[in-house]
Amino acid sequence: MKTLRLFPLELGRLLRSRLTWLVVLLTVLSPAAGLILYKPAYADTMLSMYLANPALAGGVAGGILFALLTIFELDRARRSRTDMLTDAAVSPHAMALVRLLALLTAAVLATGLAMLVWLPISMGLIGAVFTGVDYVLAYLLFMGLALPLAILAAGAAYQFTQRTDLSAVLLAAFAGLSLTVWADDWQLCWLNPCVWAMSDDFTNFRLFRTVAWMRLTWLGILAGVWGVSYLCIRRYGKGLLGSLGRSVRRVWRPAIALALLVCSGTAYAAQPFYDNSNPDLTAMTLYELDYAEGVTFLDRTVQVFPDTEAGAVEGRAVYRFQNTSGKEWTACFGVDPGYDLTASVGGEAVPAVRTGYEESNMALWEIALPADGEVELTLEYGGFPKDWNLSSTVQGDPEISGIYLCLENQRLFPYLLNVLPGDEDYPTTVEVTLPGAMLAIPFGTSEAEVVAEHRDGTRTWRYASNSTGGILYAGDYVRQDIQAGGMTIEFYYGRKHQAVMEAAGAADAVRAVVDYCTEHYGALSFGTGDTLKLIQSRVAGGGYAVDGASLLNEEDFTTANLDDTGKGAIPGEVFIHELVHQWWGLGNMFDTADETSPWSSEGLTVYTTYRIVKELYGEDYAQKYYVDQWRQEVDDYFLNFYVRRPEYLEKLPEAERLNIAGSLSGVRHYSEMPLKILKAEQLVGGEAAMDQILHDLFNREVDPAYPYLTYQDFLDACHLTEEELDLG
Amino acid sequence: MGKIFRYECRRLLWNKFFAGLLLVLLFYGWQVLTGVTILGVSHTAPFSPWSFGDYLSRMVPLLWIGSLFFLTFFTSGKARRAAVLTDAAPMEPRRYALARCAAALAGAALLALACLAEAAVFYGWYFDWYGWEELALPALAALVPPLLFALGSGWLLGWLRPWLVYVWMLVPFALPALPLPEALGLWDGSFFTAYPLTLGALDPAFSLPGGAAAAQGALLLAGAGLLALRPVGSGTGRRTGGEEIAREK
Repeated sequence: MKTLRLFPLELGRLLRSRLTWLVVLLTVLSPAAGLILYKPAYADTMLSMYLANPALAGGVAGGILFALLTIFELDRARRSRTDMLTDAAVSPHAMALVRLLALLTAAVLATGLAMLVWLPISMGLIGAVFTGVDYVLAYLLFMGLALPLAILAAGAAYQFTQRTDLSAVLLAAFAGLSLTVWADDWQLCWLNPCVWAMSDDFTNFRLFRTVAWMRLTWLGILAGVWGVSYLCIRRYGKGLLGSLGRSVRRVWRPAIALALLVCSGTAYAAQPFYDNSNPDLTAMTLYELDYAEGVTFLDRTVQVFPDTEAGAVEGRAVYRFQNTSGKEWTACFGVDPGYDLTASVGGEAVPAVRTGYEESNMALWEIALPADGEVELTLEYGGFPKDWNLSSTVQGDPEISGIYLCLENQRLFPYLLNVLPGDEDYPTTVEVTLPGAMLAIPFGTSEAEVVAEHRDGTRTWRYASNSTGGILYAGDYVRQDIQAGGMTIEFYYGRKHQAVMEAAGAADAVRAVVDYCTEHYGALSFGTGDTLKLIQSRVAGGGYAVDGASLLNEEDFTTANLDDTGKGAIPGEVFIHELVHQWWGLGNMFDTADETSPWSSEGLTVYTTYRIVKELYGEDYAQKYYVDQWRQEVDDYFLNFYVRRPEYLEKLPEAERLNIAGSLSGVRHYSEMPLKILKAEQLVGGEAAMDQILHDLFNREVDPAYPYLTYQDFLDACHLTEEELDLG
Repeated sequence: MGKIFRYECRRLLWNKFFAGLLLVLLFYGWQVLTGVTILGVSHTAPFSPWSFGDYLSRMVPLLWIGSLFFLTFFTSGKARRAAVLTDAAPMEPRRYALARCAAALAGAALLALACLAEAAVFYGWYFDWYGWEELALPALAALVPPLLFALGSGWLLGWLRPWLVYVWMLVPFALPALPLPEALGLWDGSFFTAYPLTLGALDPAFSLPGGAAAAQGALLLAGAGLLALRPVGSGTGRRTGGEEIAREK
C-alpha cells in the first residue's frame, strides 16, 4: 500500500525534473538517427527504411538515455547525502520499487510520445504500404521494449554496486556487446534486435514474434537480475552480503527473482524459432541413409491446415508402401524441428521416435513398421515451424498469416528419406485449407483448384504433384499472364504491390529476360511444359527455382529501386537469376554439388545473369556489380587466413571451425566459377562463341544413365583444360 | 612522495570499482577475442599485429572510461572537499598532484596489461602462438596515446568542471560516427582493418603511415603536455569545494 501511495509522488518528482524531460525529448527525437546514421535494416523496402530503422535507432538511443537517467536517479539520494534520512523515512526496498515503477512509467510516456510524433512522418515517408499494425508493433517491440530492459539493467547494476562509476562501466560493456560482438546473435542482442528487413506487401508477424520473444526473454532475465539486486540493497549499514542475508528472510523475494531467472532461462534455451541443425553445412547424413530393403513408395495423400492466427501448421499425411522383403522395417522422415508427430498403421498407434539429430532444418524421426506386404502409414503432425539456425540473422521466415504463407518441403509434410520410389515415382495429392482471400500456388508445374468452400469462409484447395518434397505458396496474390519465349508465364505478385509492378514495367522485364535466354540458349525443356510460374515471395535474402517455377524476391521491384535511375529498365536481379535457373540447374541438369569443386548450377546461372544485366544496364554496371565483386570475393576467399593456413583452422574448437568454414562456403560456386566461365569466354573467342557453346550444351543429347552436365563436358565443349581456367 | 603514491594507488586500485572494472573488461575482451578477433582482420591471422590492434581498438572505449573514472577519485566534489585537509599537509601541491597522476597512470596501465594478458592467454590456448614481441608496437600505438590523452585531458576537464569528465567518457563512442580522415583511423578503430589492405602484401608487417604516426604522436604529446601542465591542486585556480565549505561555515 505504501508503495502505491509513494508512486504518484515519485512520478511527479521525476516528471518535474528537467533532466527527465531532456531524456524524453531526446528519446522522442532519436528515431531520426535511423533515417541518417544508424541503418541496421539494409533491405530496400519502404518499411525497412522508414519504419524498422527509425524504431531500432529509437530503441538503442532511448535505451541508453534511460539507463543513464536510471543511474542518475538511483544515485540522487546518495549523491546529495540524504540517503540516511530517506532510508529512515521509507524502506529502501519500497523506494527502489517506486523508483523503478516511476522510471518505467516515464519510459512508457516517452514511447507513446515518440509514436505520436512519428506517426504522421512515417505515414508520409512510407506511403501506400503503411499499415497501423506494422507501425504499432514495430515501435512497441523495436523501440518501446528496449527502454524497460535498459532501466532494469542499469537499476540492477546500481543496486549491486551502489556506485555510479561501476554501474556506468557495466552498462557500457553490456550495451557495447549488444551493438558489436552480439549483434548477429538474435537472442543476445538485447538492445538492437536482428532486423534486416520488413515486408511491404505481406505481413511481418514472424519477425515480430521473434523480436518479442527475445525482448520478453531479456525482460525476464533482467527482471530476475533486478530482483536479486533488490535483495542486495544496502540496509542497516551492512554491506552487500549482509543486506542480502537480511533480505532473503522474506522467502517470497528470492523466490520471485529465482522463478523469473529460471523461466527466462528456460525461454532462452527452449526458443521455438530456430532449430539445432548440424552446424557442419557439408553434412549429408539424412540424404545418405540406407534405403529400406524391398520397400517402395506407392502414393501419399496430405491434408494441411495452416493456423494463420498462430503462425502454426497442423497436418495429416497418409503414406502407402509396398514391402516385398517380408521383414519389419524402419521408415525415416525429415520433419520440421518445430513439429510433433504421431503415427498409426491401420488405426493402431505405432511408436514414432525423434532421434534428436537435426540437419538442414529437418529433425530425423524413425518409425518401426510391420512386415506386411502393403502398409498404410498415417502421420498426424503439426506445431510452430522452426527455421534453420543459419538463418537467424535474416529473421522473418517462415511467415504464416492470413495474407501470406510459404510451406517448404518438410514444413508442408514429413519428408520421406529412405524409401525408393515405385513405378510412378512419388504420386502425391495435397489438400490445403486456407482463408477465403488466399490463393494457393504450388511451386512447380502443379495447378491447385478449389474443391470445397466452408461455412467459416475458408476454402480447401487440392493439387497433385510427383516429387519427394514440395513447396506451397499462398497469399493475397494477383496473377498476370505474360507470353514470352514461346510459353505462358504465370506471374503472381502481392495485391499491395500492383502499383509498383505496373510502374516498374515488371511484365516487360520478365519478358526481356525470358526472350534473352530463349534466343541465346534455346526454348525451355526438361518437362516444364508450356507454362512457367514466377511467384513473388516475401522479402528474402535470395531465391530458388524448381521445374516450372521461379521465385521473384519482393526486393526486386521496390519503390526505392524505381527511383534508382542508374539501374536501367529492370530494377531487380534476384528474379533474373532465378529465371535463368530454368535454363541452368533444373531437371537433374547438375549432379549434387561437390564441396571441393566450384562447378555447380550456380556458375552458369550467375554468368548468364551477368550477361543479361550487361545487356540491360550496360557494361559499366555489369563490371562494377558482377565481375569486380566476383574478383573481390574470390580474392578475399583465397587470401583468407584460414584458407591459406588450414592447419590453424584445425586447431580451433569444432564450433568455431564449422562457423568459419560455413561463412566461407558459397564463394567458389557463386564467384569463382563465374569468373572461370568469363575467362573461358575470352579464351574461346568472345561472347558470341561462348553463347554458341552454351546453346549446344543446353541442347545436347542427354545420357539417361547420367544426365548431368559436368565440368568436364563444359571444358570439352570449350576445348580447354582445367588448368587453363586457373584464375592464378 | 613514494608513500603518497602507494597510498593513492591503494585508494584507486584496492576497491570494488577496480575489481568490477577488471571483471567487466575481461568478460568484454573475451567476447571480442572469441567472436571477432578469432576470424582475423584484413586477411591476416588472428594473432597478427593488425588483428591484435583491432582487438585493442575495440577495448579502448572501456579503457578510456575506466581511466577517466580513476580521475573522478581526484576531481569529484567529495575529493575537492577532502582537499581542504590535503592542502594543509606539508607537501608541495605539485608533487602531490604528480603522485596522483602517477597512480591514475598505474591504474590505466594495469587495465591495459590485463587486456594484453588476456589476449596472450587466448592466442596460446587457441593457436599455441607465443610470438608476443611482434605485438609490442601495435599495443604501444593503439593504447598509450589515447590513454595518456584521456588522463591529461580528463584531469584538465575535471578541474574545470567535474561533470565534464563524464561527458568526455562518451568521446570514443562518438568518434566512429564521425567522418574522420584516414590519418585518424586509429581513433575510430578503422586503421587496423583498412590500412593493411592498402599495403598490397600478404600478412604485412606492422607499420604506421606518416599521418597516423603524427596523429598518435600529437595525441601522446598533448596527453603528456596536459599532464605536465596539470592544475596542481584545489588551492589554485578556480574556487573549490573546500572554499565553499569554509565560506558557508
